[in-house]
Amino acid sequence: MTDDVSRNEHLKEASRYLRGTIAEGLRDEVTGAIVEDDQQLVKFHGMYLQDDRDLRPERTRKKMEKAFGFMIRVRITGGCLSPAQWLALDKIARDYGNGGMRLTTRQTVQLHGVIKTNVKDTIKAIDAVLLNSIAACGDINRNVMCVVNPDQSRAHATAIEFARAATERFLPHTPAYREIWLDGERIAGGEPEDVVEPIYGKTYMPRKFKIGIAVPPSNDIDVYASDLGFIAILDDKGEIAGWNVTVGGGMGMTHGEPETYPRTADVMGYCSAADALDVAEAGVTVQRDWGDRKNRKHARFKYTVEDRGLDAVRAEVESRSGVKLEPAKPFTFTSNGDRFGWSAGTDGRGHLTLFVENGRVIDRPGKPQMSALREIARIHDGDFRITPNQNLIITSVPTDRQAEIERIARDAGLLAPWSGLRRNSMACVALPTCGLALAESERYLPDLIDALDKSLATHGLSADDIVIRMTGCPNGCARPYIAEIGLVGKGPGRYNLYLGAAFDGSRMSKLYMPDLDHDGIVAALDPIFAAYAAKRENGEHFGDFTIRAGFVAKTSNGADFHANSGPKQPSVAA
Amino acid sequence: MSSSFATIPKTAPFTEEDVALLNRVVGPASAVQRAWLAGFLAGVESVQGGAAQPSAPARPAEPITILYASESGNCEKLANDFAKSARKNGLKPTLLDMADLDMTALASAKKLVVIAATWGEGEPPARAVRSYGEFMGEGAPRLDGVEFGVLALGDTAYVEFCAIGKAIDARLEALGGKRVVTRVDCDLDFAEPATRWIGDAVKTLAPPQDEASRGSVIEVDFSKPARSPNTDIVEAEITELVNLNSSRSDKETVHLALTFDGGVPAYQPGDSLDVYAENDPVYVDELLKLAGLSGDAKLREDFIKSRDVTTLSYKAIETYATQTGHTYVKTLIDDGEAKQWIIGRQLIDLIAMFPTHLTAEHLHAVTRPLAPRAYSIASSRAEVSDEAHLLISAVRYVTNGRARKGVASNYVAERLKRGGRVRVKLKPNKHFALPAPDKDIIMVGPGTGVAPFRAFVQERRAVNASGKSWLFFGDRQFTHDFLYQLDWQEALADGALTRMDVAFSRDTPKKVYVQHKIWDQRHDLVAWLDGGASFYVCGDAMHMAKDVRGALVAAYADVKALTPEAAEQAVAGLERDKRYLTDTY
Ligand code: SRM
Ligand SMILES: Cc1cc2nc3c(=O)[nH]c(=O)nc-3n(C[C@H](O)[C@H](O)[C@H](O)COP(=O)(O)OP(=O)(O)OC[C@H]3O[C@@H](n4cnc5c(N)ncnc54)[C@H](O)[C@@H]3O)c2cc1C
Ligand SMILES: Cc1cc2nc3c(=O)[nH]c(=O)nc-3n(C[C@H](O)[C@H](O)[C@H](O)COP(=O)(O)O)c2cc1C
Ligand code: SF4
Repeated sequence: MTDDVSRNEHLKEASRYLRGTIAEGLRDEVTGAIVEDDQQLVKFHGMYLQDDRDLRPERTRKKMEKAFGFMIRVRITGGCLSPAQWLALDKIARDYGNGGMRLTTRQTVQLHGVIKTNVKDTIKAIDAVLLNSIAACGDINRNVMCVVNPDQSRAHATAIEFARAATERFLPHTPAYREIWLDGERIAGGEPEDVVEPIYGKTYMPRKFKIGIAVPPSNDIDVYASDLGFIAILDDKGEIAGWNVTVGGGMGMTHGEPETYPRTADVMGYCSAADALDVAEAGVTVQRDWGDRKNRKHARFKYTVEDRGLDAVRAEVESRSGVKLEPAKPFTFTSNGDRFGWSAGTDGRGHLTLFVENGRVIDRPGKPQMSALREIARIHDGDFRITPNQNLIITSVPTDRQAEIERIARDAGLLAPWSGLRRNSMACVALPTCGLALAESERYLPDLIDALDKSLATHGLSADDIVIRMTGCPNGCARPYIAEIGLVGKGPGRYNLYLGAAFDGSRMSKLYMPDLDHDGIVAALDPIFAAYAAKRENGEHFGDFTIRAGFVAKTSNGADFHANSGPKQPSVAA
Repeated sequence: MSSSFATIPKTAPFTEEDVALLNRVVGPASAVQRAWLAGFLAGVESVQGGAAQPSAPARPAEPITILYASESGNCEKLANDFAKSARKNGLKPTLLDMADLDMTALASAKKLVVIAATWGEGEPPARAVRSYGEFMGEGAPRLDGVEFGVLALGDTAYVEFCAIGKAIDARLEALGGKRVVTRVDCDLDFAEPATRWIGDAVKTLAPPQDEASRGSVIEVDFSKPARSPNTDIVEAEITELVNLNSSRSDKETVHLALTFDGGVPAYQPGDSLDVYAENDPVYVDELLKLAGLSGDAKLREDFIKSRDVTTLSYKAIETYATQTGHTYVKTLIDDGEAKQWIIGRQLIDLIAMFPTHLTAEHLHAVTRPLAPRAYSIASSRAEVSDEAHLLISAVRYVTNGRARKGVASNYVAERLKRGGRVRVKLKPNKHFALPAPDKDIIMVGPGTGVAPFRAFVQERRAVNASGKSWLFFGDRQFTHDFLYQLDWQEALADGALTRMDVAFSRDTPKKVYVQHKIWDQRHDLVAWLDGGASFYVCGDAMHMAKDVRGALVAAYADVKALTPEAAEQAVAGLERDKRYLTDTY
């Protein structure tokens, strides 16, 4: 391997298929940490070494190292869990985690604060209910997202089947995970490369790789933010006939580095259901070989697509898969949010979509939500489905049990709130666990929404669906750049305000004002709310309005995200 | 006795002032003192090789065995005092730590004095457990005619007040001994009654002297006096005071760094400091209010500074009953319910529950002087030079619906401040000292029990000892209660510590304690011990110390395939060799 590749590439190469010295590191019980190189490797096993940043200031004075703890991300294809699995995760979170569960923007569950000496037992307990955290993080294909649309049960069945097939196909083959966490037999070293990792080889992907599967009209998974996406094309019977394939979506960027930017994916073409998996594999291997392994800030598929061009990528995918892509077929997305409350499935049972604020499942005074969901899991025989908006669906509830489940949910405050802004809100984890956070997010957004709701109320907009998302840094974990109101942490208490994204997640936003504090945000938005209330056209969404009214310029796609930013003089004669 | 005749004649070869001076000393001196002085002067001459003055022959001193069962050193110190005074009074004392007692030797004694403390809940001091067992068992020899006396040390706060002293006293009689001095049971303020008892006992046991000692000479032992470190009460300044537990912990363990204007007491690793605390003014005010004595400023001052206002002993209840004539309290005692009622209660409960007109005298009568609290020194002078560190866990709990706060630990945790001052006194403990630097050590110290081992590790680093060292630590949570974590990491890195195993009880559904880690590591552990390592245990006496010993016995049984009895013998052997040492509380 050439030397000019990034450090992580050498690390992967030398890791003996992701083993490194993790096992040895676990044996040292005097520190809660593991060595730097292993910290990179455990990501492939679905975990991150973090520390409680709230406690940092006091630790040294108290003669203690940082308050280390592992974040463990379970791999849950399409967010589907059985009640038994939910109960297991609930118990694990209380036994080994910080007492709560975190539903993520990619339909998984994260546990936080698992101390090193408990990680093995935690992974074993997860394994016991047929779940794992393999490849939930790291330079590899991540958890495959899948639309939740409970009301389209049949389409969903096909979609989730495809999602699971993709998951299987792109799982790493290394036995390291079993060996290290489940005391599995050490398979005598020196496996020939092709046997161990037929798709990835020793160095896996240049960077994380994300696949999402959407079924119109719902774009809840934000297909435009995925490296590789599939948009179902339905026949008149509501069955999935084939897929539009998207490439090159992604959110992450770095403040002050315009060569990094979020990007909405391009629709590359259409393929039949039968060919979809081979096309997916071709997409993965193209990025594996074409992706930038020198500069990790330029290593995502989105930059490959930008640099090589969509046509080149399409041609390579076609030649590798032997599938000729047809021109994309028409489709329409209506939103990237969740529809709350009851909806009827095609199988006659009911589905209840619950509102879990920022995905944090925990018992709070007056809001014993974790206990309530446990109670539901005990009496429920359908599924639990985690939505890409950090919410939760109780699927297939027989009519005779609906009243009881709804009561339990209501008592715990799990039914969707009245506020249209809050219903469409998402915040990333950020402080205190995220090592990259520049500002609060999950712990702050609810308060900000309280303030914005006041202003919305004065303009009579309380019930309007407006998408607001916040992240503690520009990495974009809550996909803020495809939210009508995006807030991205810049520093403690300061946020960049982005506006102008499309309600269905198909268009990115633009920087409206940088470095705003709480009052600044409210002050900046209030007049725009006022204008929206007064001047919006029938059914016009907030994001579209801010552009038409001239508050911000429109972003066409990734490349010009940074161009032409800043507040414009509204020409709201429109 | 009057000794006027001893006046030094003016003709003596001294200046007037000197003669006066001498008279002031020699005049009132007792026969014994004069005899000693004679021997001393004679001795000085011979030592300095001057004209050898034939010193008058001493009458052969009678042997006496002074047996002590001590843990924190009080009885040991008193035993030494006894020996000194005995020597001065024509007795030939043999000091014997009960830990080293061998029954047959006991049988040969003609005169026997026992000074014994009670620990745990009415148990013998840790290192005396084995001999005590034998002494109480069938194996014990007859002691017909042996003249004996017992001094018991204890704490009226405990139900089993002076249980061990009492038991030994009764046992000696049962074995045929002849009690010539009646037993005295001392509370924590033992100094004065103990000295008095020693005086009486020596008088009774010593050979009649008045006649004999006249003109006689007591031989003085000139072997160089063991120069003992300063064990007076000294004032220290607090240079560091930090709660080592995380702000998320429900525990509070204070690391205290002290400096001394008059120079740090010459402590050794393993020693402790007695801390002289003050009571919580809030508590005292509440107490005085209940007693209807709020107005009395002098009483308040006295109670805050120098009375034990929390402990409620059975004795105190009796006194309360007799002094106030409170009928309910009387019946409580008469119905034999008092002993049960006391449990978990304090003086304040008594007054709150049985209010009556109280005077300052009453209150004084039901309290005792405030005793200091011992804290293991957590540093080595070799590393911190003129400092001494302590590790103090704030004792807080609720009993009978009342929140309680340990007096000394909360005095430190809540009222002492950085830059403030505190009174302390060195409490040496030569029974918990490091072995030679080339010997291996195994240290078991969960919670504050780890304190002395920080001193051990610092000391071994300073002398860069070649022996290996292995520490077992435990507490509640790894993240929030890992005391001195960075220090241990540093020690492991620089080799001052060879190995460390930790046990945290609240990190998993299954509670893990140090004894479990000991069991897990039993093979290496026994190997270390076979290699001559010393095994140290410090901390909780109630459970931990017993469980750890149990685990070690089990380890021997398992590793060496021994019967439980044989394994027990193996550990008892370590104790006899002073390689299993404990400092528990
Ligand atoms: C939990 C979650 C946010 C949430 O509130 O739900 C999350 C949390 C973190 N993300 Fe993310 N990301 C999460 C979805 C996303 C998404 C959304 C998506 O994929 O649809 C994105 C934007 C899409 C993309 O990938 O571009 C995202 C882009 C990032 C990035 C930037 C990646 C880039 O190439 O630009 C980082 C930083 C990095 O990888 O270097 C990151 C890194 C992180 C880390 C692991 C911080 C770190 O690297 O130390 C965060 C852990 C915080 C914590 O304490 O839990 N996370 N992260 C989401 C978990 C998803 C899952 O279950 O797999
Ligand atoms: C040789 C030696 C070394 C020691 N070293 C240390 C050390 O390094 N660090 C340290 O912190 N301590 C150490 N101790 C213990 C210390 O001396 C004190 O006993 C301890 O700090 C409590 O003193 P206090 O005045 O705060 O509490 P006190 O006012 O003396 O109250 C303690 C009493 O409260 C009662 N009590 C305590 N907890 C409970 C409960 N949960 N339920 C009911 N009743 C309860 C018991 O009767 C106990 O005796 C040592 C003791 C000895 C003898
Ligand atoms: C942990 C502990 C337990 C004790 N248990 C008792 C007891 O049960 N009965 C008693 O009378 N005294 C008890 N005492 C008081 C001691 O006997 C007293 O402090 C004595 O002076 C110690 O003497 P030593 O220093 O020679 O060991 C206990 C003291 C401590 C620190
Ligand atoms: S967006 Fe930034 S702060 Fe928020 S979770 Fe992702 S990496 Fe952390």
